[in-house]
Amino acid sequence: MKTAFLAGALSLLLPVIGLAGEYNLTVDRVEIDTGDFVKTGIGYNGKSPGPVLRFKEGEKVSINVTNNLEEMTSIHWHGLILPFEQDGVPGISFPGIKPGQTFTYNFPITQSGTYWFHSHSGFQEPDGAYGAIVIEPEGREPFRYDREYVVQLTDKHPHSGDRIMRNLKMMPDYYNREQQTVGEFFSDVSAQGFMNTVKDRLAWGGMRMMKADVEDLQGFTGLINGKGPDQNWTGLFQPGERIRLRFINSSAMTYFDVRIPGLDMTVVQADGNNVQPVSVDEFRIGVAETYDVIVRPRDEKAYTIFAESMGRSGYARATLAPRDGMEAPVPELSKPARLTMADMGGMHGMDHSGMEGMESMDHSTMGEMDHSEMKGMDHAGMQDMDRSGMKGMDHSAMGHGSEMSAGGASDPFYAEGSGLVPTAANGGKFLSYADLKAQKPLYDEREATREIELRLTGNMERYTWSINGVKYEDADPIRLQYGERVRFKFVNETMMTHPMHLHGMWSMLDVGAGQFNPVKHTISVQPGTTVYMETEVDEPGQWAFHCHLSYHAAAGMFRKVIVEGGPESAQAAEADTEKAGGEA
Amino acid sequence: MSAPRIVIATLAMSVATIAMGAGSHQGGHGHGVSGGKPGEASEATRTININMHDNYYEPESIDVKAGETVRLVVSNKGSLVHEFNIGTPDMHEARQAEMTMLVQHGVIQGGTLNRGMMEMGNGHSMKQDDPNSMLLEPGGSREVVWKFTGSGDIEFACNVPGHYQAGMYGDVNFN
Repeated sequence: MKTAFLAGALSLLLPVIGLAGEYNLTVDRVEIDTGDFVKTGIGYNGKSPGPVLRFKEGEKVSINVTNNLEEMTSIHWHGLILPFEQDGVPGISFPGIKPGQTFTYNFPITQSGTYWFHSHSGFQEPDGAYGAIVIEPEGREPFRYDREYVVQLTDKHPHSGDRIMRNLKMMPDYYNREQQTVGEFFSDVSAQGFMNTVKDRLAWGGMRMMKADVEDLQGFTGLINGKGPDQNWTGLFQPGERIRLRFINSSAMTYFDVRIPGLDMTVVQADGNNVQPVSVDEFRIGVAETYDVIVRPRDEKAYTIFAESMGRSGYARATLAPRDGMEAPVPELSKPARLTMADMGGMHGMDHSGMEGMESMDHSTMGEMDHSEMKGMDHAGMQDMDRSGMKGMDHSAMGHGSEMSAGGASDPFYAEGSGLVPTAANGGKFLSYADLKAQKPLYDEREATREIELRLTGNMERYTWSINGVKYEDADPIRLQYGERVRFKFVNETMMTHPMHLHGMWSMLDVGAGQFNPVKHTISVQPGTTVYMETEVDEPGQWAFHCHLSYHAAAGMFRKVIVEGGPESAQAAEADTEKAGGEA
Repeated sequence: MSAPRIVIATLAMSVATIAMGAGSHQGGHGHGVSGGKPGEASEATRTININMHDNYYEPESIDVKAGETVRLVVSNKGSLVHEFNIGTPDMHEARQAEMTMLVQHGVIQGGTLNRGMMEMGNGHSMKQDDPNSMLLEPGGSREVVWKFTGSGDIEFACNVPGHYQAGMYGDVNFN
């Protein structure tokens, strides 16, 4: 990075041989029409989503961002490897961009693939401040296609991000339309007085939410490239052509299960990095992830791109067709997923992870739960739970309750017996993280120099989300040493899926493929699971590390990472930024 | 490269007729279209070099005359196992199902070809002995003398799962 930084600095002083591109973005108040509702939001160059920025590997870009809002803004280049001052996180990389100000980002493009950009200020991103980045590689790609489209998903909600956060804080199930018996359940339990004693322990696991709490934000309209299902974004093709679809999930909160009935999709890239191609019928895209797939429609007909939310509360829809105006049938939403005992991270945590405040959750307590708590749960409409599963809880066989598995599907990245394990609508192949293998290792293989455990924690009742039980404001930064290789252990002790995003450095997801572990920027950690990733700490400076669900990040599931040591020039730059921050 | 590979190559040649019969039956659907057949070295008019990369061929098409016999020298310059297979799109599709099985059984693992695992016992064999197919590990190189018997929709392709779909195939253009 030293050379890259020097090169970056030099490029400011003299015209360097090679590519240099200048780009302009304005940050504007815009109108967003989903077909279901119209709202004002935030966009780039007058639109939401903003433009597709097309860069070339090896190019030095300079991007002028003009803030036309009446509040501070920022742009984060999601997944790009760049000097940390260019990363666009207010308070960590730079002070932010003031109203009326134009800030110029300068950085070299050292990678290729599909990425995206978004505001890192407040809830501007859920309000519409996002766009796509496509980087053409220097050499040829390990696959080919005749045409390509960006397919950028989001979950557009009629409420503003600020309002959603207020409502969630006030009543965490405010947007959970499936779940209607919370009040009942609590009144029952509190009448018994039992809840008070174990309230915290149960609340973090959100036991009351267990059935339908797959999504904590419902009531959105799924958009593809800014178009709602009825507005039907359409990509044209000639039969027989190979089409590269660059899927980007820019949602605030929503995971999507994506399929194109009638077409195999060959996944060739994940998070901008080439993977060994794998053909699937369907895949799940986590918030902030990208997947590039190649499809080859041979028939002169329309195909529906169908993306239903993981909790089946909404969907996005688009069309691939030989001519504009052609349509294919739009599938019905599949049956909603239901969390099972296996998804209750707490069930694992209680016995194995020694979470704070959970030590007393021994078998006798569990017995108690059986007698009072379970009754309460019955009242809360737990008809899906069968008795054998309940018995399983008594015997610390939690998490092994395969009898509770939904449909027998399994995936090593979901808890055994999880109700969230996705299955393909046509009974075919559903992509698993376990299928992802790097096309080419990015780093030499070596053993991690140390392991850092990050427990993903939360208290659903108060809508607080945290890491190791501590929210961002109260937490010390994570300090890494330049040159080390860190193994991160994520232990999800909540009942929600968390897409964890480390800025500035790659996350190599451990799928058991050694050197061929896939290289990502965002890693989903399912409820009740432990997932490992490794990072070569090769970028100096300070970086953000957080859950990419907007309202979880804002609630505190967020850390600052400080990389200590490294090239001297970068340390000098760090001091400069702090100075600049002081002036802001 | 190694002794077993030569044996397999030899075997491949010796069962040529049987295998090709199966091949054209499988993929040709009676249209008389097939990839051709192993040719006589003495009839080879020229040599065509084809390099396999991750995951594409170089070149991505070759020009031949109907009935021409050429020497094809195929080299795997990539870091993954690749196949060079001459056939129709239908033949390739059928072959992809077989290859999926090879991957599931661990015969092909990224850059490694476990030839020992092709003999599975119980009389089951996954020996790769079609004359129109070669499976090569990274760094591997082999040649085949091939007679392109007819015209039609003939491709050379890698049927390692996902590779064909990603675009690892080339056209055989008949002039």
